[in-house]
This record gives sequence, structure tokens and C-alpha cells, in this order.
Amino acid sequence: MDKVTKTIIRYEWTSFVRNKFQLLLLVIIFLFGMYAVYYGTSVVNAQLKTITDVQKIEEDEFHQYQVSFDEELNSADAKRRKDIASDPSYAWFRHGYHAVLPLHTYAALAIGQRDLHPYYHRLTGMSLYYQLFENEIANPVKLYVGNFDLSFVIIYLFPLLIIAFTFGLYSIEKESGVLALLRIQSISIRKIMVTRLLFYFMLITGLALLISLIGLFVSGNMFTNENLLAALVWLTGVILYSAFWFSLMFLIISFFKSSAFNAICAAGCWLVFLLVVPAVLNVWMTTKFPIDTTHLAELTRRTGLENENDKKERAEILSEFLKYNPQYKASDSLLHNNGNAKVYAAFTALKDSHSKKDVDAYSLQIEKRNQWVNQFLWINPAVNMQDTFSLISKTDLNTFLNYQSALTAFHKKITSFYYDRLFWDKPITQEDYSLRPIFKMKENDERWNMVLYSFLKITLISLLFGITGFMKMKKITN
Amino acid sequence: MKTSIRIAKKEIKIALREKLVLTLSCIILVLLGISLYTGVIAYQQQQKTITNAQEEKREEWLGQGDKHPHIAAHFGTFIFKPKTVLSLFDFGLDTYTGTSVYLEAHYQHQFMFRPAQDHSSMIRFGELSSALVLQILMPLLIIFLAYASFTKEKERGTLRLLSSQGVTLTSIAWGKILAYFIILLVILVPFALGLLLLSYWLKTPDTVADLGIRIVLLGSTYMAYIFIFVVLSVLVSLKSSISRNALLTLLTCWILFTIIIPKTIANLGESLYPLPSMKIYKEAILKDKADGLDGKTPRAERMTKLEKELLTKHKVDSVQQLPFNYEGVRMQAGEEYGDKVYDVHWGRLLNIFNKQNKLGSYVSVVNPYIALRNISMGLSATDLNASIDFQKKVENYRRIFIKKMNDDMAENSEYGKFYEYSVGLDMWKSVEDFTYKTPSIYTTLKKYALELASLFCWTIALILFLNYITRKTKPTNG
Repeated sequence: MDKVTKTIIRYEWTSFVRNKFQLLLLVIIFLFGMYAVYYGTSVVNAQLKTITDVQKIEEDEFHQYQVSFDEELNSADAKRRKDIASDPSYAWFRHGYHAVLPLHTYAALAIGQRDLHPYYHRLTGMSLYYQLFENEIANPVKLYVGNFDLSFVIIYLFPLLIIAFTFGLYSIEKESGVLALLRIQSISIRKIMVTRLLFYFMLITGLALLISLIGLFVSGNMFTNENLLAALVWLTGVILYSAFWFSLMFLIISFFKSSAFNAICAAGCWLVFLLVVPAVLNVWMTTKFPIDTTHLAELTRRTGLENENDKKERAEILSEFLKYNPQYKASDSLLHNNGNAKVYAAFTALKDSHSKKDVDAYSLQIEKRNQWVNQFLWINPAVNMQDTFSLISKTDLNTFLNYQSALTAFHKKITSFYYDRLFWDKPITQEDYSLRPIFKMKENDERWNMVLYSFLKITLISLLFGITGFMKMKKITN
Repeated sequence: MKTSIRIAKKEIKIALREKLVLTLSCIILVLLGISLYTGVIAYQQQQKTITNAQEEKREEWLGQGDKHPHIAAHFGTFIFKPKTVLSLFDFGLDTYTGTSVYLEAHYQHQFMFRPAQDHSSMIRFGELSSALVLQILMPLLIIFLAYASFTKEKERGTLRLLSSQGVTLTSIAWGKILAYFIILLVILVPFALGLLLLSYWLKTPDTVADLGIRIVLLGSTYMAYIFIFVVLSVLVSLKSSISRNALLTLLTCWILFTIIIPKTIANLGESLYPLPSMKIYKEAILKDKADGLDGKTPRAERMTKLEKELLTKHKVDSVQQLPFNYEGVRMQAGEEYGDKVYDVHWGRLLNIFNKQNKLGSYVSVVNPYIALRNISMGLSATDLNASIDFQKKVENYRRIFIKKMNDDMAENSEYGKFYEYSVGLDMWKSVEDFTYKTPSIYTTLKKYALELASLFCWTIALILFLNYITRKTKPTNG
């Protein structure tokens, strides 16, 4: 660092410290950041509590089943409990398993879509789609205005802070007459501008990093393997996003217009990136790829056989079921023991097989929407960053789509666990309880690649703005 | 007055010369156009889907064949939330409230499929509706138009010249306000006419009550909102020494009003009045149905009591001797008790929603944006109240339809003979199709008294304040 740079920075520091208004702004943003961390944590804690409740309910339920094996069968109630626990013709539709979409340690920092989608499901062997679409309770007004989480503070509020600090870097000097004094110095105006911008970049990015670090520390241990990477990527994202706004401000300043013009221009950019472009894209997408959920509603209807006593209908159902599930063909008691339970199980399994097409078409349409909209993220670092933050904290749409497919797989495990016993006329034993299905979710392998790609986009756009601004300033000041 | 008009003329001339103002007006006009266009397309698409689905379900209901009324009550039907024609102007909460519900005996199912669930996290940046443009972007145009109204005169020294000719500050201020208002009207009138024509042309299924009054009220509240921002901008400009400060103050107000305060308040409401999770909510309902609302009258006890009452009333000693099918009466009694339990729990839930949103209403007293946002949603019948009203009417429909099934079972079938009894088309036809009409304008307005009062008081207070200030302030050059 040469002497001139040091002098500039020293003066900038002095004038910054003297400006009470700017200090106040920083304090306010810091407080907003703390509120965001608090709010995010409270949302996550509420969800954690629900998850604990739900898991407790499942534990109690299965505990009751297991205990019933050791009970004396001296009352009707005790016998009924034992039947539910051991007879697959009751158990297959009564035993409820809870699948839970786990919370990432940093979900509190970017709540994303976590408040909008259900994140736990109770599944029995009954029709999957009958159990899939229930929502979590939420206040629509709150969903509409969104979450005041850390990602909001960084994506919406920090750009404003950057604008407030830098829109007048050149023009205010000019308007207050200091520019003439600067011009007669040996050092170029560009160098002064770049140094001052860098000074504020360090200051504001430093604040953003500080708030982020506090958030990261409050949310969990940063130094486990998985968390460390996520935390570092988060911090890198914060730096890149801040750099993007500084390069944009540099470009705006390089037009050497009045400070009011700069302010309007910068506010306009903010509005375009954070409101107009996403708002237009959203409605465009809705009309271009309309999604009809009315067909899916039908799947939640609880239907049964036309007539439970009609032998022909029963035989038809079973034979179609065997087409999909040939492994049960050898069982010779399909129509005899527990006929009702078997036919009903076959009926719901068939219903799922028939509905699969509709559900797949629905998921495909959502994916299409996503792909289409992703091509526009190039021009919008704000939305890009929001996506990245929710990707890091696993609160993005992809996570929920993954969760949906994991639910389908889990349901398959549950049904085969019970069907194997139901169709082969085997009781559920006490030992079987240790074999019962467990919910597992596959990691999104693409996750870090996607983040990297987003970072690349933001970097390129920042470079583009920065270099254009640099060239422009050179032309004029020379 | 004359001077005011002369000043207004001059202001309009100057504004027309400003490229920035012209560009912004064009952008707003284009955005209004886009929003209206996509609004109409989305409205038509969704309306068509919903009408088709509703007709399909009606046919399914009528064509279900002969069966026992209670099986039909479980077969049930679906209701889809119709779009109100004004939703093409203000989407309100439609993206965040469920769109379809399954109606069957014994259970109150929840509304499923919130359209926002089919989007990535970008949906949280908002959707472009005409209401969004007018509520958020319009104030910004006003700010850009008027921030320099007085400061520029001060900076150039023309304000002193004007006063030296005997023109009072009050008439200058009103002249300017008049000018800006006229400019904005020029943008708005064609839009309003377009909207008016569209909503009368499109309102095929007549869901909105008092459409005419609603449109007039929408027009006047938006006028008041725009007026408030014009006067506020002029006032700030009058009190600021230089344009830059006026602009910064106004932009800060804008961000606070439209972005920060609404989000903070909604989030705060959620933290202060936490909602139960769906799981806990439903468990509580089940528990109260089983053990009684007081926790001391279990279902079996309630049923024994009913049986005893009926036996004494009809002076017989067994349920078989009753002049009706006891099963049907018992079923209906269970249904009604379930409804009672549901009403208690749902009432509690609505109470929490209400408390959460009440905070927003209180804050609307200091924040005209929230006031207008709430009124606009209310008038467009896309607010939470409309959604709750719809849910109530749907639930009521469910009750009537289930009662019909149970009553028929009680009157016409024999005790203990379930599969032997069936009814057909005549019975299905006797259940009327569901049609929905929004609450009347009076009911809607009553819910938004505070918001309406807020807009009214802001308007009056600003007028008085402006007159007071302009009389007090001496024209200076800042």
C-alpha cells in the first residue's frame, strides 16, 4: 500500500467516523441482522419442536405395539391391541410411520420455502397420495410478506446500505466543490474513487460477514465437516454479492452524473433486480406453464370397492395387482384368509399405480418451470443469491422435490414390509419390529456444483460491471 | 387559486421535459399493461380449470350409481376455490391459500395445494399484479417526480423571486401538487378504464358481491394513496435544504413503508402468537371427539345417553323398536358433536390468525402502504377474510350434505341392514351444487375500518399540515 492510498483511507475513515448518520445506518442494519437471526432461530425452533412431538407420537405408538406382545390376553381390549400389533391385516393400514425432512443447521439463516411446504408426513400402508398433500398450518398473510431472515437482510437491505454509502462518492465532492481541489493533485480521480470504494467495500462486507458469522455461530457448530463447508460457502456468497453491488455502483458513478441521478439510478437497479424482474418472471411463468392441481385433488379421495362381497370384482382387482406385484403370485391363500384386507390392500396399491402418471406429470411441470426460469438467473444476481442461500441451507424447492421422491420410496418400503406378511399369511413378530422400515433421504449430489455455478454467474456479472466502469472512468479522467 | 393553476401548468411543462420522469412513466404504463394482460390470462386459465373441475366433480357425484347414503357421504365431493374477477387486479393471498378441499363424512379436511408450492423460492420476491405496481412502484415514481419540487427552486434561487411577486408558498405548493396529480391521472385513467371494462366483460360466474361499489372504492382509495405520497413528497422537499437530502429522506420512507415494516410486523405477529402445528391441531380435535370437549364425556357415554333419551321419549325398550333407524340418528349426532369440536378448535386457530394480522392493522395507522394493501385485497376479495368466509361456507355445505345423507338413512332404512339399503340419482340430485358468493361490501369494509380511517386521517392531516407549514415557513434558498 503506497502512501497516497494510506492517506486517502485515513481521511475516509475520519470523515466516516464523523458522520453520525452513516454510523446510525450501520447500527440499524446490525440490529436488523440480529433480529433476523433471532427470528430465523425462532421459526426453526418451532419446527424442531413439532418434529420432536411427531417423533414422540411415533415412538409411543410403536412402543404400545411392542408392549402388547408381553401383555396377558385377558380382556377384549388387550386382544385388540395384540391384533393391531401382530396381525398384518390390521397393521398394514394402522401403523403410522413419520417421515421428517431434517432441518439443516443453517436453515434459520435462509428459511426459503421451509414455511410453505409440509416437512413431516405420517405414512401408513394405505394409498400414498391420500397422505401426501396435507399442508402445515400457516398464516397466508405471513407467507405472502415472507420471512425476515438473514438472507433477506443480506439480499435486500445490504444493497441499500451500499447505495446509501457510495452514490455520492464522486458527485458530492463535485457538488461541494472539493473535486476541483482533488483534480489538481497528482493522483488520478479514478484511483481515488477505486480506493474509496474499496474502503467502503471492506467496511460493509465486513459488517455483513460479522452478522453472518454471528448467525452461523448461533445456529450451530461451525467446525463439523458438513457445516464448515456450508459456512465457508455462505461467507463467500456474501462477499460475492456485496462485490456485485459495489461493481454496479462503480459503473453508475463512472457516468459522472449528479448525486440525485446516481441515487435514482441505483434505487432503480435495486428495484429492477429485487422486485420488477422476479415479479414479471413469476407471472410470466405462471401463464406460460399453468399447473392444474385439480386432478391431484381426486387422489386424496378415500375410495373403496364397489361392492365388497362381489367375488368377480375381487378377483379382477387381485389379478391386476399381481401383474404389478408378481412376487405374490405363489401365495395360494389370496382369496381365503383375511380376504378383505388383502383385496383392500391390493385396491389401494393399484390406485397408487394408476395415479402415478398424474403425479409424475405434475412434478415434471414444476421441473420445467424451474428449468425455464433458471436461464434468467444470469441477469439477476439477487434471485440467484437467494436460490444459493436456500440451496446451502437446504430449504430450496429441489430439496422438497427430493423429499417427495424419498417419501415415495419410503412408502414402498412400508407397503412391502406389510404386504410381505399380509399376502404370505405371516404374523408380525416382536423381532420384526427391529426390521421395520426407516426413512432415508438421498443427498442432492449436484448441490455444491449448483452453488459453484451460481457463484460463477455472479462473479462474471460483477466483473463485467466493474471493468466497464473502470474503462469509462479512465476515458473521462484522462 | 389562479396562481396555483398557473404554477401547475408550468410544472407539467417542466415535467414533460424531464427524460427521467417520462421514462419512468412509460415503464410504469408498460408494467401496468403487462400486469393486466397476465392477470387476465391467469384469471381465465384458472377460472376455466376450476369451472371444468367443479363440473366434473358434480357429474361424478350424480353418476356415482346406487349405494348406501353413508357410503356416498364418504365418497363425498370436492370444492375448488373460484377466482374473483378482481383477482386479475390484485392477486392478494390467492397464491398462498389452498385451492381445493375434499368433503366427506366425519372429517373436516384442510384446503390443499397452495399455488406458491409449485414455485421456486423466487415466488417470495412477489408477483407482478396491477396492485403491486400501483402500491409499490407508483410511490417511487411520485418521489422521483416531486422530490426536487421545492429544493430545485431553492437551489436556483427562484423561490425567492416567486415570493417577491406576492405568491404565497401555500399556492405554490398546491400548484405543484395539482400538477403532479394531473400527470399521474393521465397515466392512471386509461388503465382504470381498461380494468373497469375487463372486469365487467369477464365476470361470467358472478362470485363478487357489489362489484360496482368495490371498483369505485378501489379507485378512490388508490387516489387517496397517491395523493398522500404526492403531498408527502412535496412536504419533504419543502423542508429539505437540498435535493439530495429530500430524495434520501423520501427513499428511506418508501423502503420502510413498503418493504421493512410490513415484513417485520407480520413476522413479529407470528413470534408473539405462535400457531400450533397441523399434527398437534388434528390430534387435539381427535382427542376431544373421543373424550368430549370437557374431557369427561367419552364417546361411548355420549352415545348411551342419546340412546336412553330416545328410548324414554318414544317409550320403547330397544333401539330396534324406534320408529326410525337409530344408526342414522346416532351417526348424525356423532357428526354434530364432531362439528362442535371442530368449531371450537378452528375458532381458536382463526383467533390466532386474527391476532397476528391485527398488528398489521394497527401499524397501518402510521403506514399508508399497509392500509391500502389490506383494503385493496379486501375489496378484491383475495384477502384472508374472503378465504375464511369461503372455507366457512364450504364447511356449511358439507354439513348440510352429510345431514341429508344421515337423515335419509334414519328415515328410510332399517336398523342393522346396511348393505341391503341403497339410494340413487334422485337423492344425489337433491344435494344442490355448491355456489359461492363473497361477503357483501358492508361486511368487508367493517373489517377494514381502521385501515380506511388511516387513509382518511393521513389525507386530512397532510392537507392541514401542508397549509400550516407553508404559512409558517419563510422562502429561503436553503
